[in-house]
Amino acid sequence: MRQIRHRRVGDKKATICIMAERWDDEEQPSSWSDEFRQRFEGRWPIPRQTVLGILGGLLAFAGVVSSAYTVEPEQEAVILRFGRYVSTEPPGLHFKLPFGIDSAIKVRTKVILQEEFGFRTKGTEGTRSAYDENFRQESMTLTGDLNVADVEWILQYQISDPQKYLFQARNVLTNIRDISQSIMRRVVGDRLVSDVLTVGRVEITEEAQRLTQEVLDRYNMGIRIVTIKLQDVNPPEPVKPAFNDVNRAKQEQEQAINQAEEQYNKIIPESEGKAEQTIQDAEGYATSLINRARGDAGRFTAMLQTYRSAPGATRTRLYLEAMEELYGRFKELTLIDPSIKGVLPIFGAPALKESPAPGGHP
Amino acid sequence: MTPRINAGMTLAAVGMMLVMASVYRLPEWEQAVITQFGRPVGSAVTAAGLHLKVPFVQRVRRIDKRILNWDGYPNQIPTKDKKYIEVDTTARWRIVDPLLFIQTVQTEDGARRRLDGILDAITRDTISNHNLVEAVRNTNAILDQIKTRAEKLKKGEISPGDDEEITGEIEPVHVGREALSAIIIKRAAVELKQFGIELIDVQLRRIAYESSVEAKVYDRMTSERQRIAQRIRSVGQGERAKIQGKTNRDLLKIQSEAYRKAQSIKGAADAEAIAIYARAVSGDPQFYEFIRTLEAYKKAIPADTRMILSTDNKFLDLLRQK
Repeated sequence: MRQIRHRRVGDKKATICIMAERWDDEEQPSSWSDEFRQRFEGRWPIPRQTVLGILGGLLAFAGVVSSAYTVEPEQEAVILRFGRYVSTEPPGLHFKLPFGIDSAIKVRTKVILQEEFGFRTKGTEGTRSAYDENFRQESMTLTGDLNVADVEWILQYQISDPQKYLFQARNVLTNIRDISQSIMRRVVGDRLVSDVLTVGRVEITEEAQRLTQEVLDRYNMGIRIVTIKLQDVNPPEPVKPAFNDVNRAKQEQEQAINQAEEQYNKIIPESEGKAEQTIQDAEGYATSLINRARGDAGRFTAMLQTYRSAPGATRTRLYLEAMEELYGRFKELTLIDPSIKGVLPIFGAPALKESPAPGGHP
Repeated sequence: MTPRINAGMTLAAVGMMLVMASVYRLPEWEQAVITQFGRPVGSAVTAAGLHLKVPFVQRVRRIDKRILNWDGYPNQIPTKDKKYIEVDTTARWRIVDPLLFIQTVQTEDGARRRLDGILDAITRDTISNHNLVEAVRNTNAILDQIKTRAEKLKKGEISPGDDEEITGEIEPVHVGREALSAIIIKRAAVELKQFGIELIDVQLRRIAYESSVEAKVYDRMTSERQRIAQRIRSVGQGERAKIQGKTNRDLLKIQSEAYRKAQSIKGAADAEAIAIYARAVSGDPQFYEFIRTLEAYKKAIPADTRMILSTDNKFLDLLRQK
């Protein structure tokens, strides 16, 4: 065919030739592939079936790899088919539809996670944790009496429902933090600063946990709060000395009361003993007085009986005996006859002073 | 045979492309609006899974359908009672009408700007229309607490020393923190509805005194504590004085009672002694007087006395008769 054309159209040979060649070129692919096949059929050592087999095998392998997945013990996997939720799988080895038809999102549901407010754990130094306390903005809280307390707390939570956790909110953690802060401020805001700092701690944690859980449930976030615990709760730094002074005042108060009680305990039992002593003394006095009276009376009665037998003589005797004894003990005795008048000047002033009781009449 | 395989492969590739272009997958957390040359077509697609569209002509605009956060910039707002506070709000919102959302605000960033404007303004209005306590406290529980404490104090169930806190006036709350949030939500929700946005909640995350006010508040807290400390101390002094008084009272009582008992014992004894003497003496009073006088002389006049006597007495009778 080529040769015929060449002969008939002499002038236009070149053009036709080009066209023909072009035509030939378009015919080329089939002949090229034939050639290719022939070439390889000759030299390729592996038969065609094997190649297909290998390809198929690779495909199958990829399928298995993309369909098998492992869920770790602390996880659960949420399976999506073309993005739609299908199921939630427990830990273990599982299979899903391959090639991206199913996708598995693993969520750590068993792990208890912790959020810190007002401080951050920096890591551990030796055996104890180091904390960064520089989050005053988070922890400074207004109390119900419009005072300020520095409240630090932690919140521990668990993902209770991975499906809700993944699909309900974009940023669950931010929500947890925002809500916890808001609720804590609300709970603290309903209390007096002194309660917040001292006795109210347990109550505050309980109420905060309950309310935070309520809000999270309302938003269906699939979060279960394990616990909320207050950490350091302090008055603000500049006010601390004043708060400490209140504590000191309490100590002083107790001390003052104790001292007074001590004094009481020291004085009263002693005085009770002394009172007892006074009474005993009085009783002793009474006994002795009566005994003496009885003795005296007995003596007198006895004397009287004897005296009655000879009154005049006895009387004189008793008188003289007494006088004898009495006069015997005078240091100086001056006897003056009553007829001598104006005797006093004799003695002079000093003598007078020495005897203050002159002129006794027995 | 060979050309047919080639053609088949091409067809398959084209078909695949067609399928890829006409199918889209929507995950659980997204919703989609289909636009045709930029114009929304039909209603929004909210169900997750595989969906169809017209290939090449229609485009999928994906929009989040989860709860989203809005974090407000902390604002300094004066309250109605002229206290300057810093209010930090956060909000949760959701795109409920994706079509309207795309038409009005287009992107989440656009939505955030609207949220900023609306929520800031409404928060500011609401806070500055109320007293500070309304934003701090939720209920009046604190007042009840103070009341019960005062009653307990009255009944003496707690000692005055334990009670340190009843300080100043505590203003009652009429609205409360939650209700303030509710007011903000209610007002903002109406305005946000026109953007296809549902406002789920607004939380007053943080309310703090402005730093200039803070120092004054601390001063007040300090003086309040000082007052409480002073009170505790003076209660202590008072208690001490009470105990001291009781000590004195008990002491005097004990001493006087002992005195009274002692005196009455002595009195009874004296009386008895008098009776005994009287009984004995009544036998011969003159004789008693005589003996007793002699005895008294002996006892009363000490030895070495200087005596000046007149000779005019019975003992010296004989001396005189010279």
